[in-house]
Amino acid sequence: MSAPNSSERRACWGARDKLWKCLDDNQDNAALCEQYQKEFEANCPGQWVKYFIKRRDFLKYKEKIQKEGFEPADGPPKL
Amino acid sequence: MLRLGCFKQRNSHVTFRSVLQHALRASNTHHSHDSTLHILRAHLSSKGQRTLCRTVNQGPPHSSFSFGGHRASYSTQPPNPGSRARITLRTRLAVTLVIGSGILGTWLYVWREKQQKLQLQRIEQLKQVAVGQGNFHLLDHTGRRRTKRDFLGSWVLLYFGFTHCPDICPDELEKMSKVVSLLDKESDLPPVQPLFITVDPERDDVAAMARYVKDFHPRLIGLTGTPEEVKEAGTTYRVYASAGPKDDDGDYIVDHTILIYLISPDGLFLDYYNRMKNDEQIVESVRNHMKTYVKLFSN
Repeated sequence: MSAPNSSERRACWGARDKLWKCLDDNQDNAALCEQYQKEFEANCPGQWVKYFIKRRDFLKYKEKIQKEGFEPADGPPKL
Repeated sequence: MLRLGCFKQRNSHVTFRSVLQHALRASNTHHSHDSTLHILRAHLSSKGQRTLCRTVNQGPPHSSFSFGGHRASYSTQPPNPGSRARITLRTRLAVTLVIGSGILGTWLYVWREKQQKLQLQRIEQLKQVAVGQGNFHLLDHTGRRRTKRDFLGSWVLLYFGFTHCPDICPDELEKMSKVVSLLDKESDLPPVQPLFITVDPERDDVAAMARYVKDFHPRLIGLTGTPEEVKEAGTTYRVYASAGPKDDDGDYIVDHTILIYLISPDGLFLDYYNRMKNDEQIVESVRNHMKTYVKLFSN
């Protein structure tokens, strides 16, 4: 299986962006964005789908930390 | 020798004028250097001015102004106010300028020497860190054997990645290509050679590399080889690379260091750029390196 070329990459990124926009608009309600999900999985290799899902989770987490701040775990650190 | 620092602390310019007048008369009447100094010292002490300076010659202390018969000529000469004032101001300005520029010149010279020494020290430190000092033996995307020696004499921007990379490698290579294009536009700078070395030799053979690099800058050279050769290159540049788990169709992602390295024509690692630096900033940095590099080295 050869790597995606430039146009294939762009197609995949386009589908990913559409999916992410749909999820942002619908507060991550995956049920409403099923069509975009299918399109995304069709355009991107399997590994990339997994990677982009993890990436989205990470970006959301990062946003949350930046907005709400970091809360350390309860109790003093064990030495 | 006049210690002009002393005169700057004085409050009365009249005394300076009379001292200078006496000094000029002393030289006109061909008295010795010693006698001029004694006259100056006497002036300073006799006028009751506080001064923090010391004269060069330690003569005997004088309590009065008269030195004996052979110096009587000073007190009998009539003063000439007009010419005296003009000479004094001009001389003062001239002397101040000379000393000022002397100090400035010395300071500039010393500062420049220090900058050069710091630069050389940094280069020495980089050499000791020895990143990228080893050689690499790889194949380029046309199948030609290439070693590090082939690229000596040109500036190199180097990036490690793999062709199955989802987004980061294409982004970074796009950025690197843009940097090279922007630098190409500046005709007074030497051309930069972009290089792309794979961290995934199992999948990225010569054909795969050829397919990949044509999407970026025309001068971009892709380098690959056997897993040992690639590992050697990675170790030389202290690149971290770790292949992830394979999925059903054998696809996997390789986690790796995301840095663009700048290498000088000597093959020395000079700088690195991470994801935070955009193309303009990298161009600026490379340009600065090129300019300071040319100034220092001739080898």
